[in-house]
Order: sequence, then C-alpha cells, then structure tokens
Amino acid sequence: MPGFEHESGFLTINRLEAEQGELKENIGRVREQLDEYRRELAANTEMLREINAELERQKMMAGLLAVEGPGVLVTLDDSSIRSAAADSNDFLIHEYDLRDVVNLLWLAGSEAIAVNDERIVATTSIYCVGSTVMVNDTRLSPPYLIQAVGNSVVQEDVLRNPGYLREIKQRAELYGVQFKVNRIGTLTLPAYKGGFPIHYAQLGD
Amino acid sequence: MNDKIGAMKSRSAQLLLTIVCFVLGLLLVAQFRTQRMAGGYILSASSADQLIIISSLVENNARLREEMEALEGQLDEYQQTTGRAVLEGLVEELNKVRIINGLVEVSGAGVEVSIDGSIGVLDLQDLINELRNAGAEALTINGERLTLYSVIASPEDGVMTINGTQFSRPYVLQAIGDPETMETALLRSGGLIATLEHNYEGLAVSVIRRDRMVLPVYEGTIEFVYASRVE
Repeated sequence: MPGFEHESGFLTINRLEAEQGELKENIGRVREQLDEYRRELAANTEMLREINAELERQKMMAGLLAVEGPGVLVTLDDSSIRSAAADSNDFLIHEYDLRDVVNLLWLAGSEAIAVNDERIVATTSIYCVGSTVMVNDTRLSPPYLIQAVGNSVVQEDVLRNPGYLREIKQRAELYGVQFKVNRIGTLTLPAYKGGFPIHYAQLGD
Repeated sequence: MNDKIGAMKSRSAQLLLTIVCFVLGLLLVAQFRTQRMAGGYILSASSADQLIIISSLVENNARLREEMEALEGQLDEYQQTTGRAVLEGLVEELNKVRIINGLVEVSGAGVEVSIDGSIGVLDLQDLINELRNAGAEALTINGERLTLYSVIASPEDGVMTINGTQFSRPYVLQAIGDPETMETALLRSGGLIATLEHNYEGLAVSVIRRDRMVLPVYEGTIEFVYASRVE
C-alpha cells in the first residue's frame, strides 16, 4: 500500500475528528442555550399565570367582563302624555336623569351598572346630542333600562328615598314620565365592548 | 501505452481494494466502536482500519449534524415562544386597566379646575362627566383619585365626601388627558362652566392647563359581593 494513501487517510481522520470536536462543542453550546430558554419559559409561564390572574381581577373591576347577580332594574321612559301647552322637557327623560340615577346606584353600593346594555365604565360619560342620549358614544333611545347588580334591598331603599331624585319623581307624578324600580333575582350585564384610549396618563411619577 | 495500462491496472486494483475494505469495514464497525481511539492507534493503523475509522467518523459526524439541526430547530421554536412578546403585551394591557381603575399612580398633562362657591354634588358630578366626555384618563377631586365606583355624597348639608373622605370648597379637580380638548369643552359658550357661573353668583372658577401632574393611587379596595363573572 503506497505511503501517501496512508497519510491521506490520516489527514481525513484528523479533519473528521476536528469536525466532530466542533460539532460537539456547538451542540453543547446550543443545549446550554436551550436550557436557559427552558428556564426562562418556566419563569415566564409562572409570571404569565400571575399576570393573567391579576388582569382578570382588574378587568372585573373595570367592567370588561360580563357579570351576573341580584339587583335592581330601573325603568325610565318619556311620558305618554302629550301636552302642547306645557314645557315638553317636563315630559321627557333627559341625559342628566340617567346620570343622576346611575350616580345614585353607585352610592347605593352597586357593583356593576348597564344602561340599555351599555356597561358603565370609568371613562363613560352620559351626554346628549340634541335630544339623543349617548352612553359610551352609543346612541340610546327610550325606554331606558338601567340594570344594577348589588344589594337590591339597599338599592331600592336609596332609590325610593324621597331625598333623592326629587325632580324625576316629581315629573313622574305631574307629567307621567316613567320611573319604575324592580328588584331582580339574577341580572346579567354584558361586558364593556369599547376601548380605553390612554394617550396622556403614564404609570407613576 | 504501458504506463496507461499500468495505471488502469493500478486503478482497478485500488477499486477492488476499496470495495474489499468497505465490506470489511462494515463488518468491523461494530467491533471497532467499542474500542478506544488512541492517537497512536491511528498512526499505526492499517489502511483497512483507517477506512473503518473514517466511515465511523463520517457516520458519527452525520448524526451529530442531525442532532445539531434538531437542537437549532428547537432553539428557533423557543425563541419564538418564550412568551416574552405575550408577556409584554399582557403587562401593557394590565397597566392600562390599572390606570383606568385608578389603582396606580399616574402622571401626565391635563387640566386643573378650581371652583370656589356653593355648588352642589350634582354640579360636581356633571363636571366629572364633562371631563370624562372630553377624554379624561385619570381624575382627582381635592386629591382623591376617582374610580368607577367613586361617588360624591353629601351626608349633611354643606359636607361632601368622596371615597368616604370629607372635602370642602374650594373644589379642585385634576384631570389627565388632552389639555386643549378638556379646556375647550369646559369653557365653550353655553358650556358647563358658563352654566354654573350663571346659576351661582360670585362663583370663582379657573381652568389651568398643566404640562404635568401626578395623580395619586386610589387607596381603597374594590370588592365584589353580589356580582360574579359570567362563565
């Protein structure tokens, strides 16, 4: 057997061994990296679980989850009486009436409120454009059904307290606008479907 | 010519030798694998042995490359699914909702509304409604952070409470949001401030734009006794 072939085989072996060493080194390095990722993934998974739980809690408070529970249904509607002589405003339910009822329901310890299935959230404003009532930038029309989850006995007491909602109650008596309070065993309120645009507020100082 | 024939002969002999060695190599691979490869062994190894070593190395390196590819594939997968992006998205969402809930201190531009006069609870609530309508992202009344559940109560005449804390005039509302939009909404002719000034004689009102205010966190807790999540 010629000597050079022997030497060439030797060189091939050297080359292959060098390649093997390199491959093994790379495999070791990638395995270490993988272990690191696995540890990070485990930590992240744990953190994900915690953040998810906290997010669910915060979403519940923000009105981003549909809820159910006992409470009251308040019905407000324009009067069916039409009088040309009197001020027509007295016969209608206005956006400030809705606002006053909603605020009173919060005062009575309500935990969730919706008006015609529009969930009241921290950024909600109840206003009017002409004679149209807007809640969460959504047009509502009468009758206005206000659902409020809470202690229905307390809610009803507060709503019927003569010291509150004097104007609505007076218009109900004099002009026939509707103001009804019903205690309900189980109300189901939808989640707020809109967004919370935050452009100015930043965390912390 | 002779050279050529000689070369051909030598080539076919090499080919034959290679085939023989290859077959022999295959037969001996199993045995060889159990042996240790000492440096001296390779140097003194016969061509047949070298071929066995080479074929073994080639095979082994191919397996290592395969393993390397599999590991790199996994690494790629992990890099995409460590959840870092998901985590960042969730934290951002969480912080947004915490700001909305008033459960974290916030800072930013906005307006500061000061009112001194004998206005009522409903007027203040209208003012809050007006600011929310103009895009207020965070609000305080006399330093108390407002939440969805905060209501102004008036247990006695002239005494007001917010979040169960008493406060009195002058009333100072701070709202973080677009200063211009909020200022314009409040001060427009026929707007809420104009109405209040019309209704209450001698009312002192100021609306000041602020580049930066710090609004404190709501200190209370929000708990649910009657409402439960619809599953």
